[in-house]
Amino acid sequence: MKIAFSWRAFWRGAAGLAFLLLVWEVFARSGFFSRALSPPLGSIANALWQTFADGSMPQHALVTLGRVLLGIALSCLIAIPLGMLMGRVRAMERFFLPLVSVLMPIPSLAWVPLFILWFGIGNISTILVVIYAATFPMVYNVWTGVRSINPLWLRAASAMGANRRASFWKVVWPAALPFVITGLRLSFGRAWIAVVGGELLASPVWGLGKVIFEAKEFLNADVMLAALIVIGALGLSFERVVFQALEARTIARWGMVAAAKR
Amino acid sequence: MSGLKSIGANALWLAAPFVAVAVVWELWARLGSFPPKLFPSLITVADTFVRLAISGVLWAATEATLVRLVLGFVLAAVVGVIVGILMGRYQWVEDLLVPIVSMIYPIPGLAYAPLFVLWFGLGDLPSVLLVAVASCFAVIINTWKGVRAVKPIWIRAAESMGARDRQLFRLVILPAALPYILTGLRLGLAQAWRILVAVEMLMSVSRGLGWMIFGAQEFLATDVMLSSIAAIGFIGVLLEKQVFERLERYTVVRWGMLTA
Repeated sequence: MKIAFSWRAFWRGAAGLAFLLLVWEVFARSGFFSRALSPPLGSIANALWQTFADGSMPQHALVTLGRVLLGIALSCLIAIPLGMLMGRVRAMERFFLPLVSVLMPIPSLAWVPLFILWFGIGNISTILVVIYAATFPMVYNVWTGVRSINPLWLRAASAMGANRRASFWKVVWPAALPFVITGLRLSFGRAWIAVVGGELLASPVWGLGKVIFEAKEFLNADVMLAALIVIGALGLSFERVVFQALEARTIARWGMVAAAKR
Repeated sequence: MSGLKSIGANALWLAAPFVAVAVVWELWARLGSFPPKLFPSLITVADTFVRLAISGVLWAATEATLVRLVLGFVLAAVVGVIVGILMGRYQWVEDLLVPIVSMIYPIPGLAYAPLFVLWFGLGDLPSVLLVAVASCFAVIINTWKGVRAVKPIWIRAAESMGARDRQLFRLVILPAALPYILTGLRLGLAQAWRILVAVEMLMSVSRGLGWMIFGAQEFLATDVMLSSIAAIGFIGVLLEKQVFERLERYTVVRWGMLTA
């Protein structure tokens, strides 16, 4: 939902954030939990500054982001062709749809312990979890997108002499693209959860989830909250900046916003 | 006669993919490079599944997991609907909370797990709270959008006909926002389900399907793990088919807000 920018809303929003920070500060200093468990704002800011100054936090963040992007890229390689085939070829749909609908409701993180036994702790298990989490929303969206193509367009294309290849690249692919982008957005959301969970459970050497897990062992709640802030900021900027720019460049420009509702 | 034939063909089509996967799995288990302890044959898995089901371990774990899911989700639903409605109805609540909600929403709920462990210890309380926190944002945001999407002319019409605040709320706003609220509840429940299993692994609860998978890792009991995953998949499919689709059919579709 688009909300027009207004200064009043801006000031009230700022007041909301200030209120949240104030509540936290009072809560932290009240002694309800010890200082080590609920650090005041000063020490969170300090932890954030220190981990950025020594370069460890940016590196953890880059590793986590790299895992997510690699996992999504690999899942696209599986999911986009599979979704297309399922949408276009009846036999493929009948074969793969039951498998997809059984595997989809299994949370990706349920597989982590098994992946650890099969592939060891570390990168491979974490990336596999990301792939598992990102694949199904993508398959589902691409499949829906291809199926929702107006058959008239295909008949028109073949009447004008398009062969299979041309009708794929000129009709099917552009028509499905808005759904691919919606799928990408959903996949990112799922993958973002999966990567943090995977890093908490499969304990690779680097990663934001690892920072949180380690901070727990040493009771460094300030580092933990600093990592949470970084995770939130990254997730928000991907959702707001990257995907909105992508949608504005593609779907909105082609005038297909209505088609790509999920 | 042809009807019978097509039912048979359908059953065949439905079974084919699972049979194919089972054959590949079995071949890999017997001929592949993994030791059988790590990649058990399906017969072993089925055997373990039946054994766990008969001894009651599987039921106890399933029950514990479902209780956590329901408690966490109900908490999220109540809080989320109330906050969402307040945000939709009062401008100052909306201005105050929108930045907070949109900042916290993109943090995966699971990332709070270690923090909750420090605050509330291990066990059931932090698990339920964490599931509630993780799933309430979808409810809040959708409820808020739904209340905002109520046509102002309906409200003005009701007011000019002399509706009081309570009537306005019960007879106009709630029914108009309900499709959105239901969407939010559906998304919230799906979210809760997706992280609950991992929460159980991190919170070392005493029973639960997630905990069973995690505990089995210590003993290299891949058959137990796969049995638990099968149970999880079964519950997931049931949730999807019986709860979500039914909810949608009974309400939104019936009112003609959405074509099925």
